[in-house]
Amino acid sequence: MKPERNLYNRQGRLARFCSFIGVVLAAEIGLLLLAALILWQDSGFGGGWRLAIFICCLASAMSAIWLVWYWYKLSKEITSVAEQLCQPKAALPDRKHYSHTLTGRILTAIDKHLHGYDESVSELNEQIKELKIQLRVLKRQRLNMESIIYGIRDAVIVTDQSDKLLIANETAGRLFNFDYRHSQYKNIEQLLDKNKFNLTDLLQKSRKSRTRHTKYELEIGCNGEIKTFDCVVSCIFDESQNVCGVVAILHDITREKQAARMKNDFVSHVSHELKTPLASISAYAEMLVDGEANNEEMRKEFYSVIQSQARRLNRLIEDILNISRIESGLVKVDKKLVSLAMVIREQMQMIKGYTDEKNIKIIVPEPILYDQIYGDKDMISQVVVNLLSNAVKYTPDGGTVTIGIEVDESEKLARVSITDTGVGIPEEEIGSIFRKFYRVKANQNVAKGTGLGLNLVKQIIEKVHNGRIFVRSKVGVGSTFGFELPLAGARAAEEKIKV
Amino acid sequence: MLNRKVLVVDDEIHIVHVVAIKLRSNGFEVITASNGQEALEKACEQLPDIVVTDLQMPVMDGLQLVAKLRESDKTKDIPVIMLTGRSFTIEKEQKEQLQISDCLGKPFSPKELLKKIEDILYQKAVSN
Repeated sequence: MKPERNLYNRQGRLARFCSFIGVVLAAEIGLLLLAALILWQDSGFGGGWRLAIFICCLASAMSAIWLVWYWYKLSKEITSVAEQLCQPKAALPDRKHYSHTLTGRILTAIDKHLHGYDESVSELNEQIKELKIQLRVLKRQRLNMESIIYGIRDAVIVTDQSDKLLIANETAGRLFNFDYRHSQYKNIEQLLDKNKFNLTDLLQKSRKSRTRHTKYELEIGCNGEIKTFDCVVSCIFDESQNVCGVVAILHDITREKQAARMKNDFVSHVSHELKTPLASISAYAEMLVDGEANNEEMRKEFYSVIQSQARRLNRLIEDILNISRIESGLVKVDKKLVSLAMVIREQMQMIKGYTDEKNIKIIVPEPILYDQIYGDKDMISQVVVNLLSNAVKYTPDGGTVTIGIEVDESEKLARVSITDTGVGIPEEEIGSIFRKFYRVKANQNVAKGTGLGLNLVKQIIEKVHNGRIFVRSKVGVGSTFGFELPLAGARAAEEKIKV
Repeated sequence: MLNRKVLVVDDEIHIVHVVAIKLRSNGFEVITASNGQEALEKACEQLPDIVVTDLQMPVMDGLQLVAKLRESDKTKDIPVIMLTGRSFTIEKEQKEQLQISDCLGKPFSPKELLKKIEDILYQKAVSN
């Protein structure tokens, strides 16, 4: 119950009590009067006195009655005021409706009192209003801050001066395996396994040493793989320059590290591959300069080695540049309608000397009329010659290379396959053969190669022409390399007509 | 002086050929091999005075070859010159551990290689 309501109830009870007292008083006066009359009849008072006493008694009785009436009316008014005031959201009763001066004065006093309260209440209301606005602003700021931290892709962990977690985002929760939304104010040592992650030490060390920013490289096991993180731990200072918290931001640099390693491997491979023919050129040139080639035949042999190694060097550089251009999207692609059968026939002529030398039989299908694709002829030629020369290279003398061309009308694509009867590729290495500089270990003695050809083939087919490269192989039986390319569509045909 | 025997190991036939010509013209007997495995077999059989080997080779690379040579009493003291085509050189510790006498980066000069071979064999002869 509200306090003012309580007050009004008390006032009502007071009025009723006063009425009761009045009635009792009047009754007592009446009794006294009766007693006086009885006494007076038995005593020896004269007629004058008797009249006087009678009047006095009458007056007393009248006053008692008036008093009772007065009290009754007053209590009624006060009760009425109290009842009205008890009504919810009641206005102060109009004093015109109340005849009693005391009621009026009470109402005036309440009015004045309430007026004072009104001012305080309106002031309080203003303050509450301002506080509510500030609270809303603070809530919004907090939500914004949380949204920013939750939205950061890097792992973020913020601790207070007692190493308790203030906030962490989803990435941090996932990385360190804790419930990031319900771990606030938990000690960081509870959340991060100290044996597994030394981040706890770094946070504590940073807080104690008051270091503004410290950068670390951390390796953390995540879902069975080791990831490398660039971790920046920064102290947060309050207005008095005391450390009030520590922020750790962990940026995943696993990919960058892998890329750097791959780049290093690539440079290392390129260096090795370039230096090998260069070493031959340099050594043979020195021998010629020093007159170590005694006769014309030897000199010719030396010149021939220099020439072949220079060509090898050039091919290697071209392959590296082509792969690099395709990977960076800087390659110039001149797409036109190309007949795959025509390209295959042209490239077969290119390697004829090689196939004749090894006595390898090439089986070619009958030309298909509609085997046209929309592509860069030079690049497709390079793909075909690389696959054909690989097939011949890894097939023992007297073997067979079979070329197949299919047109899949339902899928709208052309499929070329080159099958050899060569050494084959172990199953576990098939997934790696399209990697740069990768060479099948068991076949390195069979033939020379840089390990770039198949990577270039894959890049040309899949990256430049949106096709698909495929391979099937069995050790000792042979391999099938092939590719699928979309058939030239109506648009390409239209372009041909325009040309 | 007796013909000194050099085992030249490289998967690049042109390199083996040019080194062999240079060494033979300077009075060396030359044995050749195209990988570490073949070289190991020839080294155990013919006990060369020195081995010149490429680092990166199929089947068995140069470092594996040296490690195998050091395992056998017959071949453990044969000096080795390593030809390296990689952009990085062999670690100093590894070089000392495997007792690799010298390293020569590709491209190399046949004259320089010859000089190194002669120096190493001379030092070996003096120390013996």
